[in-house]
Amino acid sequence: MSQLNVVGQSLERPDAYDKVTGGKGYPVNVKLPGMLHAKMLRSPYAHARIVSIDASRAERLPGVKAVLLPKDVPQIKFCPVFFVPVQAPSMVLDFDVMNGERVRYVGQPVAAVAAITADIAEAAIDLIDVEYEELPAVFTPEEAMAEGAPQLHDEAPNNIAKTPFFEYGDLEKGFAEADFIFEGTYETQRVHTCYLEPRVCVVDMDRQDNVTIHVTTQHLFGTREKLAFALGIAESKVKVVKSPYIGGGFGGKLELTSMEPVAALLSKKCGRPVRLEQTRQEDFITTTRNPIKVYLKTGVKKDGTFTARYAKSILDCGAHATHGSEVIMVHGAFGLFFNYHAPHQKWEGYTVYTNNMIGGGYRGYGAPQGSFAVESQIDEICTKLNLDPIAMRMQNARKQGEPHPFNPAFTLATYGLADCLREGAAKIGWEKARRRDKGSSGAKKRGIGLAVHPVWVSGCMGFPDIYEHSGAIVKINRDGTADLATASMDIGSGQIATLTQIAAEALGLPAGAVRMSSAGDTDNLPFDAPTHASRVTYSSGNAVKEAALSAKKRLLEVAGSMLEVSPADLEVSDGKVSVRGTPSKTLSVAEIAQRAESPFVQMTAQGPQPTVMEEKGTIIGLSSLAPKSNPTPCAAQFVEVEVDTETGEVAVLHAVYAHDIGRAINPKAAEGQVEGGFQQGMGYALMEHIQFDPETGSCLTTDFLDYKMPTAVEMPRKIDSIFIETDEPTGPFGAKSLGECCVITPAPAIANAIYDAIGVRFAQLPITPEKILRGLGKI
Amino acid sequence: MKKMLTLEVNGDVHELAVELDATLLRVLRDQIGLNGPKKGCDSGGCGCCTVHVDGKAVYSCVCYAHSFDGVKVTTAEGLSSGEELHPIQAAFVDAGAVQCGYCTCGMMMAAKQLLDDCPRPDEEQIRHGISGNLCRCTGYAKIVDAVKLASERS
Repeated sequence: MSQLNVVGQSLERPDAYDKVTGGKGYPVNVKLPGMLHAKMLRSPYAHARIVSIDASRAERLPGVKAVLLPKDVPQIKFCPVFFVPVQAPSMVLDFDVMNGERVRYVGQPVAAVAAITADIAEAAIDLIDVEYEELPAVFTPEEAMAEGAPQLHDEAPNNIAKTPFFEYGDLEKGFAEADFIFEGTYETQRVHTCYLEPRVCVVDMDRQDNVTIHVTTQHLFGTREKLAFALGIAESKVKVVKSPYIGGGFGGKLELTSMEPVAALLSKKCGRPVRLEQTRQEDFITTTRNPIKVYLKTGVKKDGTFTARYAKSILDCGAHATHGSEVIMVHGAFGLFFNYHAPHQKWEGYTVYTNNMIGGGYRGYGAPQGSFAVESQIDEICTKLNLDPIAMRMQNARKQGEPHPFNPAFTLATYGLADCLREGAAKIGWEKARRRDKGSSGAKKRGIGLAVHPVWVSGCMGFPDIYEHSGAIVKINRDGTADLATASMDIGSGQIATLTQIAAEALGLPAGAVRMSSAGDTDNLPFDAPTHASRVTYSSGNAVKEAALSAKKRLLEVAGSMLEVSPADLEVSDGKVSVRGTPSKTLSVAEIAQRAESPFVQMTAQGPQPTVMEEKGTIIGLSSLAPKSNPTPCAAQFVEVEVDTETGEVAVLHAVYAHDIGRAINPKAAEGQVEGGFQQGMGYALMEHIQFDPETGSCLTTDFLDYKMPTAVEMPRKIDSIFIETDEPTGPFGAKSLGECCVITPAPAIANAIYDAIGVRFAQLPITPEKILRGLGKI
Repeated sequence: MKKMLTLEVNGDVHELAVELDATLLRVLRDQIGLNGPKKGCDSGGCGCCTVHVDGKAVYSCVCYAHSFDGVKVTTAEGLSSGEELHPIQAAFVDAGAVQCGYCTCGMMMAAKQLLDDCPRPDEEQIRHGISGNLCRCTGYAKIVDAVKLASERS
């Protein structure tokens, strides 16, 4: 790797200035002239037949401009998940925008109103009379699969939406070869991504079906495709406007919901733009991380080598499968079985309908649920067999140069797990802490824990039915700067910084000379897959690099003509093009861009003079491509906790996270991902839980007073990020991915540290003070 | 039912007719047109809407605007004077404390309250001082750094 000038620097995020001075760039701020406000009426029942809807009282309320009922909405079923085709064969096509016959969860939209104010719209939905015939509801997957359970979808007998499985080797033989067999059932809860900007859209749909939408989305093109399908119109009719950024996503804004098509249809009815903003309560019941129950059985030799692994996972997808069709696959593959070598393996997954809220995407996408099982059980194995948890993991781990377990066409060209474990252990003082006397006196016990996430993704290259290409436009300006335009949405993830750094490095421009365009939409930007699946730095980054190199090629052609040398003899550095070996022959990028865009005929003292035709035209580079591979990052998480055995409270004192990132494009931004990821993973481990009334199915945690997440006080005082730079050959300047492993590892690491502290193993998240006290036999 | 109200917001005096049930947040965003105070939960749980009323930080989403006649309101937009960033704003940028940025304006107003009351806070005071404000991106680490930095620089 030649010397890097811009990549690797912790540059200031270009979007930070606007965000500290008010923050103009969020969809929540969009106001259009004549804009109306909409609200949705939602079902109070978990399962009911809709007998009739009478909206006449609402229609008469002054200020109401339109009422939308199911009969006004195309009754089309589809998959609303952004990253797959709308009718992807591998997904379950069961989502509809507003079902006129049946509701399947508390909160399902049944009608909507547009009015001149949000207050009037709110008052109007209370005036819509819906007669329901309540049906028996079912709230757990086990009950849903039992004989005689209410059937939620005709095409899914026993409420089973999907039953994927993986199998290789001979499981019986593998277990017969084992010296020990470990079994356990591990349960994870429903949690919310808790993005802070609520879901909101402003839609203008005219009577020729031209749609313009501003929306909180992680994917412009997915919004376009799914919204067009839901409305029954051509995709090109929908223009999704790129907001400069959105207020968080984390996987929670990765599908179309009823909000966008409802606002569009109301807009068409009224002939005016319509704004629909969800309340926090509505957001809590719109998407969620699916709860999964995992039964895991592992055969091991005395030395800790795996001989066989079997797992069965039951995922509660709620009323519609949506993400649950894919989460179960990623869970099985990357949460459970690709992680480590085992000669004989089998996994069965069940995506099961219930009358709970619909699941969704959330950083890690099924892997946190699997990793909690695997890494908890490995800790148990190491404890029982007195094995070193680091050495045991390395013994079963994959090795650099091996074929990728997901797709043998890819190799593990870079794989820095050993370095992650070694450096992480050194940082937290692992050896010393493991040998420490826990102390029999005192109420507070300290413990240390480890969890690894050995195989993950850099995007979705090679996954069935999943989009994975990116595009970029790089344009060199006459002042020597460059503009970068991509459809990749910055959801807090930092690509406004990292992608502009990649472009500057590829172009040979100084730090700060590339600006991310804040304008654009699906009409004029090339396709990019969503901001999800740890993909942006690697996949979008490769596309940005390619577009920048294409612009640079043209830059050198023009410069070559100007300097009368071959472009091959030129190099660009710090915004200057020079002839190799002749530093005196230099042009600034600005001079070259000015020449390229100057008038062909120039007036001189001698009269009009034509210039060189080959030098003319804006210097621009375009790309649209899929990445070459899907390199795995890997990570090791160490935590130290203190358990108060009187109150059951757990304090996380120190977290160390080591991650094979390939190359850190902007180390400070990368640390931010890790520190925020730990907050989400720690919340999952200790406190976060969307709870429902078990009788009615209505959500009980509808605001941040009831739904607890870590504040600055609960967070550890020290979070150390260690980035192992393995220089991935297929990545932009060696980069792989970062965004999700740091959310996957905290929960099992914390659970293992709690075991180390008090000798009690918890197999159900979250590990609340109440569970700790029960585990200690104190209540 | 509306009530007339005078609010001084970031130095500008506004005469407003506000609905009796309109929150201060709603008036600042929808009637005055500010972006800094943000709606995250509308129930006093996240702190994105934090502004100062007569120098004290409040959750503007749980305050009725009509009860604030004659007060001075400061939002993130009012922190800086002229083109210079306020030291807290500059520290948030320099420390890398801004990710999605949706919590940032409210978080800075909480930080300002803390630094007004306690110009040299230790880490525990900082963490408690911003504990009424949620952030989902940063894990608060760089926000704590930013508040320390702002304190050191002033």
